[in-house]
Amino acid sequence: MSSRRSRQSSSGARISDDQIIQLISKLQQLLPGTRIQRSNKASASKVLQETCTYVRSLHREVDDLSDRLSQLLSTIDADSPEASIIRSLIM
Amino acid sequence: MYTSSMLKKEFLNKWIKGLQICCSSKNKMDLMERKKKIKLSADIAMASANKTATSWSNALISEAKKNKQDTILVSQLLGSKSPLKLQKSTNMIISIHKRVQCKKILKRSCFNAGKRMMKKKKKNLGISRSNFATTIAKRLVKKRTKVLKRLVPGGESMDEVSLIKEAMDYILSLKVQVDVMRSVVAAAEVLIDDKLLKLVE
Repeated sequence: MSSRRSRQSSSGARISDDQIIQLISKLQQLLPGTRIQRSNKASASKVLQETCTYVRSLHREVDDLSDRLSQLLSTIDADSPEASIIRSLIM
Repeated sequence: MYTSSMLKKEFLNKWIKGLQICCSSKNKMDLMERKKKIKLSADIAMASANKTATSWSNALISEAKKNKQDTILVSQLLGSKSPLKLQKSTNMIISIHKRVQCKKILKRSCFNAGKRMMKKKKKNLGISRSNFATTIAKRLVKKRTKVLKRLVPGGESMDEVSLIKEAMDYILSLKVQVDVMRSVVAAAEVLIDDKLLKLVE
């Protein structure tokens, strides 16, 4: 069992090491807040950590925006002309 | 390549459609309920605006379908997409998930059994510094991939390479979603602020 596992991991490492480095550099380009001259030594764990925090912040922003929108929709009363504009757009 | 502006238009159209569907049903909705519906339609719009069927979008849609209350909204929004395809993908995802869970349970039991044996052997090993650093790095990477798997929908049953690809795609769509929502909410706020100012004057 252990010999099979070691053989698998070595052949997998040969194929996907470069792939993983490429993917991680691409991922790093998507993240905000990096300097213009991105360092070539993109440590995988740092990039992954930044990715996780970025995804979490995006989730939080979506949550916050839907909160605000629901509050806005609830404050409109039924008869104003603005409400009809928004209503025709959204509702 | 699907440009981001096209994605934004698609997402906006689908989101507004979803809001129309869910907000037209009842006029008096609880704040939390309305917020959930807004968020749900945004998520489904984001998932279906992607023309290429990525696995995170399928996972999002299947998650939404599980909730019985929301299936009507989902099916109305998706409309033309064949339900069979989605059913197959959901079944696949569920079976993969079960397989992964079984593997995890097996691994855990083997690990606990082997731990007791390893404790006796490890005392004599002298670990060199480079080995130490690489093991720490590997452990960190593993830990962070686990967290990422939890964040990306449907990420539990994916290998590392595809997880990173899916994460990139997911981040792009999330950016689109946030941009569109931000502008819609800002526009609505300006409209309502104007109205309030007029009332005061």
